[in-house]
Amino acid sequence: MRFELSEDQALLRSSTRDFCQRELPIDKTRVVMEQSKDGYEPGMWRSFADMGYLGLLLPESVGGQALGAIELAVVMEEMGRVCVPGPYLDAVLAAAVLATAGGREELLADVVAGRKLVILAREDSPYCGNHTEPTRFADGRVRGTKYFVPFGARADALLVTTSDGLVLVDAPGGTTPLETIDQGQRFATVTLDHPATFVGPLSLLDRVDHIGAVGAAAMLLGVMDRSLEITLDYVRTREAFGRAIGAFQVLQHRMADMLLRAESSRSAVYRGAWCCDTRDAETALACASAKAYAGDAARYVCGQAIQLHGGIGFTWELDLHFFFKRAKTLEQRYGSTEAQFENALVAAGY
Amino acid sequence: MDLQLSEQHLAFRGEVRAWLAANVDRPWREVLRDASSTEDSLIEARRVWQRKLHGAGYLGMDWPAEWGGRGGGPVEQAILETELIETDAPPVLNTLGIGLLGPALIHHGSEEQRRRFIPPMLAADEIWCQGFSEPGSGSDLASLKTSAVLDGDDFVLNGQKVWTTFGPWADWIFVLARTDGKDRYGGISFLLCKLDTPGITVRPLRQITGESEFGEVFFEDARVPRTNLVGEIGEGWRIAMTVLAYERGAISFTQAVQYGRDLGRLATACKEIGRTGSAVREKLGRLLVENEVMRANGIRTLANFADGKAPGAESSIEKVYWSEFDQRFRETALDLLGPGGQLVRTSPEARDDCDWARQFLWSRAETIFSGSSEVQRNIIAKRVLKLPQDPR
Repeated sequence: MRFELSEDQALLRSSTRDFCQRELPIDKTRVVMEQSKDGYEPGMWRSFADMGYLGLLLPESVGGQALGAIELAVVMEEMGRVCVPGPYLDAVLAAAVLATAGGREELLADVVAGRKLVILAREDSPYCGNHTEPTRFADGRVRGTKYFVPFGARADALLVTTSDGLVLVDAPGGTTPLETIDQGQRFATVTLDHPATFVGPLSLLDRVDHIGAVGAAAMLLGVMDRSLEITLDYVRTREAFGRAIGAFQVLQHRMADMLLRAESSRSAVYRGAWCCDTRDAETALACASAKAYAGDAARYVCGQAIQLHGGIGFTWELDLHFFFKRAKTLEQRYGSTEAQFENALVAAGY
Repeated sequence: MDLQLSEQHLAFRGEVRAWLAANVDRPWREVLRDASSTEDSLIEARRVWQRKLHGAGYLGMDWPAEWGGRGGGPVEQAILETELIETDAPPVLNTLGIGLLGPALIHHGSEEQRRRFIPPMLAADEIWCQGFSEPGSGSDLASLKTSAVLDGDDFVLNGQKVWTTFGPWADWIFVLARTDGKDRYGGISFLLCKLDTPGITVRPLRQITGESEFGEVFFEDARVPRTNLVGEIGEGWRIAMTVLAYERGAISFTQAVQYGRDLGRLATACKEIGRTGSAVREKLGRLLVENEVMRANGIRTLANFADGKAPGAESSIEKVYWSEFDQRFRETALDLLGPGGQLVRTSPEARDDCDWARQFLWSRAETIFSGSSEVQRNIIAKRVLKLPQDPR
């Protein structure tokens, strides 16, 4: 037994940390979040491809890295530490679905090379409610409305869930961008009445959902870890009542709780990832638990990071709000906490 | 990363499973519910069980073979404990002797002390209790005042110890006593005292569960031979700290098995009594998720042990997590079971799947013993986060 990363995985972590610091520092994230209409720099996408990130989970036959959920978690954690904007996880998951379905090598090669962006469009209701008009696929056309499609306005193709299975729509158009609290996670409403091709049954998403939950939980881990680091630096220098505020026991205990949540998330994320990669019988339970827990934990840690900074923590000028917002956005996506509780109960047979 | 037990460990688990299947004849929870059981008869049942385990070579798993152990490691220990929980075996009797004093003697005791004390400890012929806390010294243990003054070949002890688990049934007590009033840490020594020594009085102390597992021990000019000093004079604090590290182990791993088992029973009970609404499911879901995360913490610690990495102050994170989780779990269990969850175990109406009422009460002890949650958070802040000293 061993919890530590392998040598290759540790190398991936250090190279990804370097890449993020060099190419995607938080200052750049700020510019994107404040100024970009796309919510990311499409120009950067080629460097993601060069690093091999876009084909991380794909087989070598289509130019992928043939790596697993542990490697994805490493990359997501590092990206979370600088709050990388953009559709990275969505692109990786959509590509994994396409690869599992088989065929479409040309499209996959474009995805791996960063020439095309394919995204999963799944949400049938703007408020995750049950009152929906299901999207249908018949006679080679897909009809319906998909809500909260991540980066739907930029996508070159959509993988759409319908009551008749999973279908692929090229150059969808008909998108209405949505403005939400995290400017690095853009969404769009997509109204579909388009020609589409059948990809496969919805069960293609089962494994991808586990990997997506772990990937999102890993980004949550990076987000909370970095928020705690920023806070620890601050409380060591900020003085009140004549001493560094980090010396006050009431704040120390708060930070101990923040660390407890971050480290417990780390255990859960990497166990979930390991389960995915070894196709362990506990995969569904471990992944649901990692996502549900990390979502709660990140909201707490990022919220307390703002609290411990006081008034400055509430300013746009400080970076903390980017992490806080990303935590909330991720908490509700890739299986919300509520949905993952239910997934966990079902997986445990309760 | 490799979070799977090795072939060797899986084989060991198979061996333990087979032995337990052949040797546990009645689930412990049934024995506890039995109207004819008394506190004394339960103690005797635990003594018999400990001897059986010892005979099979399952005590002191991670001790050197020379001292009756198996020369195994914390992974074997965790596997054994997990299987004991799964089969609902009785708890061993001499937990404090085996858990704390054994390691203290192996690491710090003299050859003579090991030969004298370890065999009867393992055989449950001599039961040990722990004399650390005092009425005025709990979280601030180093402020302890029980004094030991050297007089010829004896130490003369005066003072009082409290929260001494097993006090009422123990034969011996290991005591931290002050041999130097001026040196806070270096003035503490580690002594072994026979409880029937003149001048020592043991009184049972009733706990909120109604049980009297606790006791208080009074010392009035009690004479303890100098040969019962472990280590040197003034080494007591250092010995106590290394010994307490043993208490930590891969505890999240085994706790997750126990809580997971009880959580499964709670889920079944909720179905039986028709509590299946979404509010109930959300509560169960949260508990399940938190227990799985605790299991992940435990697997991580176990893997680090197997990888040769000893846990440091991070074990404080595990202590806070499991103890505070268990409180949330037991409180929620009583909420979900309604007033019926409060029935004491011997009540004919009480559920026979788990002693929910007792566990609810017991969970309050968990955030106090072995370093309270507050002390653990101090340790996390100072030793892991390296935050500045609190001026207080």
